[in-house]
Amino acid sequence: MADAMSHDEVADLLALDAVGALEASERDGMERHLATCVACRQAAAQYADLASLLPAALEMVPPPPRLRRSLMAQVYAEATASPRLSWWRRVIASIPANRAFTVVGALAVVAAIAFGVWGATGRNALPAPVAYTVSGTTATGELAVDASTKQAVLTVKGLAPLPTTEVYEVWLIPPQGAPKGVAFLSPGLNGGGWTAVVQASLAGFKSIAATVEPVGGSPTPSNTEVLSGQLAGS
Amino acid sequence: MHLSDDDIVRSISAHSPEGIEALYDRYGGLAHTVALRILSDRGAAEDVVQEAFLAVWRRGSTFQTGRGSLRSWICTIVRNRAIDRLRGDRHRTRLDTPMEGESIEPLTTDPWAAVALELSGEEVRRALAELPAEQRQTIELAYYGGYSQSEIATAMEVPLGTVKGRVRIALDKLRASLGDRMETPWQTQ
Repeated sequence: MADAMSHDEVADLLALDAVGALEASERDGMERHLATCVACRQAAAQYADLASLLPAALEMVPPPPRLRRSLMAQVYAEATASPRLSWWRRVIASIPANRAFTVVGALAVVAAIAFGVWGATGRNALPAPVAYTVSGTTATGELAVDASTKQAVLTVKGLAPLPTTEVYEVWLIPPQGAPKGVAFLSPGLNGGGWTAVVQASLAGFKSIAATVEPVGGSPTPSNTEVLSGQLAGS
Repeated sequence: MHLSDDDIVRSISAHSPEGIEALYDRYGGLAHTVALRILSDRGAAEDVVQEAFLAVWRRGSTFQTGRGSLRSWICTIVRNRAIDRLRGDRHRTRLDTPMEGESIEPLTTDPWAAVALELSGEEVRRALAELPAEQRQTIELAYYGGYSQSEIATAMEVPLGTVKGRVRIALDKLRASLGDRMETPWQTQ
């Protein structure tokens, strides 16, 4: 199809598009022109960058730290489970955001796991994940444990939304002694499930539970459990 | 270790969580500010920012160089989602940015993008303040209100061509005010 638009006409549309005001009916013509015009593509990029400067005039409002925690918990949980990543990248992905490990440390973990597994099995393969069921009055879920890294991802459905002043805190409960707070459940999107990445080893604990606590968590559970599950064999 | 935008793009392309982490640490504050300005609701703004970064994580191969910087790309994604939310159109599938193609390309060296990162809020505020009120209102209705050209024309009771002209002139003036720090001249036809 012939390109009937002049550079000047396209520039008008590029400016509109940069601020989000371009009518859908005009987009096709603009895109056809851009497909064959390097100069206008460059102008498009520059208009887009100009428009992206507009927010710089606003007073910056930093997001709350919980947003980063929630986002990265979701990302790392998906990365850990993703078949798109090789096993060693999944191991790296299972190391959490704000981790204390350096990259060198992470590589050392990978190497240690690789050699350990190699030595134990004679094959370059990781044991299959182990899953435990958790449940409560309204909630059900699963704790999937990577048998090699001993790290786990807790996914839960059916928990009620919380006010911004409260969180679901995850606890590991030993046969005797005080429960250990190990993670906070992060809400999924659009009313989806909740997720927490549990970095602590499950060894020596008999069960896992979650309670509602004030933001920031509590030293010990201060409310009744909203869900729990046995960790038999851990 | 400081990561360049190129590094972040490559990391996202490799589906690395560290890429999203770095992207959020660099542009999460900007994204949150944009979403909050559009929605005026902290909870909704946080939802939009999380949705936007998760969308980048889940299909992170859609960034294309030549259509703006990484900064403008994430701004566009967040803005589009916030506008959709504002309009109660959360189920509409949006093309956040060019979606064609599956490859992700390293950023080319873009003097304008580099300058844009260095510009202070005060410099941008000053440049915006120099615009005639009707031009500033036009681009703010579009960018933060999600109004289309025809909707702005109706709201401001001016012809469509006037809206088109105001937007382009306003952006060209901003470029003239801010772009003198660029090492290469603005390309015009």
